[in-house]
Amino acid sequence: MSVFALILVPLVASLSLLAPGVRARASLLLVGVAALVSVLAVRLAVGSDGAVLLAGFVRVDATSRLFLAVVNPIFFGISIYVWNRVTMAPSLRDGMGRFVALALGFLAAANAVLVANHLLAAWIALEATTLAAAPLIVRPGMSASRQASWRYLLFSSVGLGLALLGFMCVARGVQVGAHAEGVLLDHATASASGASSLWRRLGLSLLLLGFGTKLGLAPMYSWLPEAYDEAPPAVTALLAAVQFNCALVLLLRVLQSYRASEPKLVAAVLVAMGLISMVVSTFNIIASRNIKRLLAYASINHAGVIAIGLGLGKTASYGLLLYLLSNAFIKAVLFLTAGKIKAHYRTKDTRRISGLIKDLPYSGMFLMVGTFALLGFPPFGSFFGELLILSALVSSGRFLVFAAFCVLITMSFVATGRTIFPMIWGEAKEKHDWPRQTLLSASPKIAFVVALVVLGLYVPPVAQALIERVAASVEGP
Amino acid sequence: MSPLFIALLGVMLVPLLVATWRTSLWGLAFQGLLMAWLAYRMQPHPTTPSQWLTLADLAVLRGIAAPYALHRVLRARKVPARHDLIPPNLLSWTFAFGSVLVASNFAQALVPAPETEQNVVAVAVAGIMLGFLVLATRSTMFSQMMGALRIENAIAFFELGGEHHAQLVAVQLGQMLVFVGTIVLYRWYLGSVDEACASLGDDVSEVTL
Repeated sequence: MSVFALILVPLVASLSLLAPGVRARASLLLVGVAALVSVLAVRLAVGSDGAVLLAGFVRVDATSRLFLAVVNPIFFGISIYVWNRVTMAPSLRDGMGRFVALALGFLAAANAVLVANHLLAAWIALEATTLAAAPLIVRPGMSASRQASWRYLLFSSVGLGLALLGFMCVARGVQVGAHAEGVLLDHATASASGASSLWRRLGLSLLLLGFGTKLGLAPMYSWLPEAYDEAPPAVTALLAAVQFNCALVLLLRVLQSYRASEPKLVAAVLVAMGLISMVVSTFNIIASRNIKRLLAYASINHAGVIAIGLGLGKTASYGLLLYLLSNAFIKAVLFLTAGKIKAHYRTKDTRRISGLIKDLPYSGMFLMVGTFALLGFPPFGSFFGELLILSALVSSGRFLVFAAFCVLITMSFVATGRTIFPMIWGEAKEKHDWPRQTLLSASPKIAFVVALVVLGLYVPPVAQALIERVAASVEGP
Repeated sequence: MSPLFIALLGVMLVPLLVATWRTSLWGLAFQGLLMAWLAYRMQPHPTTPSQWLTLADLAVLRGIAAPYALHRVLRARKVPARHDLIPPNLLSWTFAFGSVLVASNFAQALVPAPETEQNVVAVAVAGIMLGFLVLATRSTMFSQMMGALRIENAIAFFELGGEHHAQLVAVQLGQMLVFVGTIVLYRWYLGSVDEACASLGDDVSEVTL
């Protein structure tokens, strides 16, 4: 039953905000529901795989258990951040009812993506997260945020439309129709192997392009920097750490189901998309002087690394899993910290922010730790993840990709450090009298940093077993 | 190619040449209604809930409700009639007609037989390519909406050509709800512009419509 609670509790809570009495306590409701759902998700993760439920629509397997246990606690952390912001700035209370309703709807849909056993049902849930997130990007009176929101919706709709077309092409190849067994995860692998080659190849290419758009991979990535930059920090964290993982899970499902039928095509498309994304993002990181845009381009860079890891499969799979789990926590830490910094300095211009470690010790420290993790320093999971992906590139004989990967990572490393480190350790340019930062306001980010270190140093056996199982399911032939 | 398919191609192409926003919405409406008619021709006696839902989706939702909802918001904002979906020049028109030819050849390569299925694929691919042509050449919000809706309609049409013996009503309802949600958001974007809506032809970056 707790599987359904993961979807129904936030959904019902979202609908309950229609009542004015509930709306007055919206931020508390958000924290309460997020806490409850996080507990349920972690309980599911430490349990065992569930049976297929609801006529085959729902199934809790290793992939869903792992990602439920990541996405829901991150959402809980974001909800504490929101609650703290509202407490510190009471003027934000006005729009809280709408924000919380949409955010809880978003969470319900995100959980539905993770537990769906039907690819089209998961696709519908992912579309629902997009429809809930688009209005959240808009900030009242800010026309640039409305543009960003529109571009986000447009690119997402087109990308997911292509993915739907991809499902139909694969299903048409097996001559069972897009709504039939070909899109049930339990049957998809068997169906795909019997599909006509042309339809299957076309379908798979469209699926990778479509979900690549949702992940912010080249060629259709241009929505991402704009949306991440213009959205409120909590919404950026939702998009980067929650929705990104939902789209990724759907891509993992596609690979789990269809990779074996076209391994060369999958590898070629994913490695190409990943490498181009890294090129594009690296040059934009070099040029960027806006902290949120820089982090957004770093997200595209990470998406590129993940795509290359996915394309490689096999030995890269475990490293990939470590990398993408770390990536979720890194983005949550960095985007929430960027929000805090912007709220204090009233600017996103990196040249006007300096001396953070003295001015805002918590935020300075989180930016420092987050940046180290972002750049792949030890002892974080991202370091080991990147190392394993690099080693898989060498062992698979892709030396040119390996060389390009190393050059691009070094360039983005230098560019990011050159921009962010003076913000942390530079001399403060203006004297500010900041309100004291409470431990409670910092607690979500502390938890995320602990998770990052744990992923690098000691992965608990339960999580280790889950990661290994998911890695085995995506490694391909 | 049967007259119905030719008519469907016509309603996709005409709004690219007749540059008013009303024509764009009429084109979208006729596209939905013709797709519904074709769906009815393929399954002349709908018996299952799934078949009825397909007809309702195409005729009521895509053919009537969506264009009407967008029409209302634009009329309320007194938007000037003129609006180009693609740049009005020979190059764009060549690309548009070229897309139709490419789609036809692509369908022949992909579906050797039967002819109806080949025509479905040809028209659907043409719809997708024309939708992308609109998206690639225009930066106004309304044009981009029309491009995205054309692509969504073409995908729905492509779905008609597949085998449909085991459609799940819940999934179909979910897809319809997503479409309704999309139209509601489109209305919200078109209706929530701060500045007086001078022209749909203005760039998104300037007027944000």
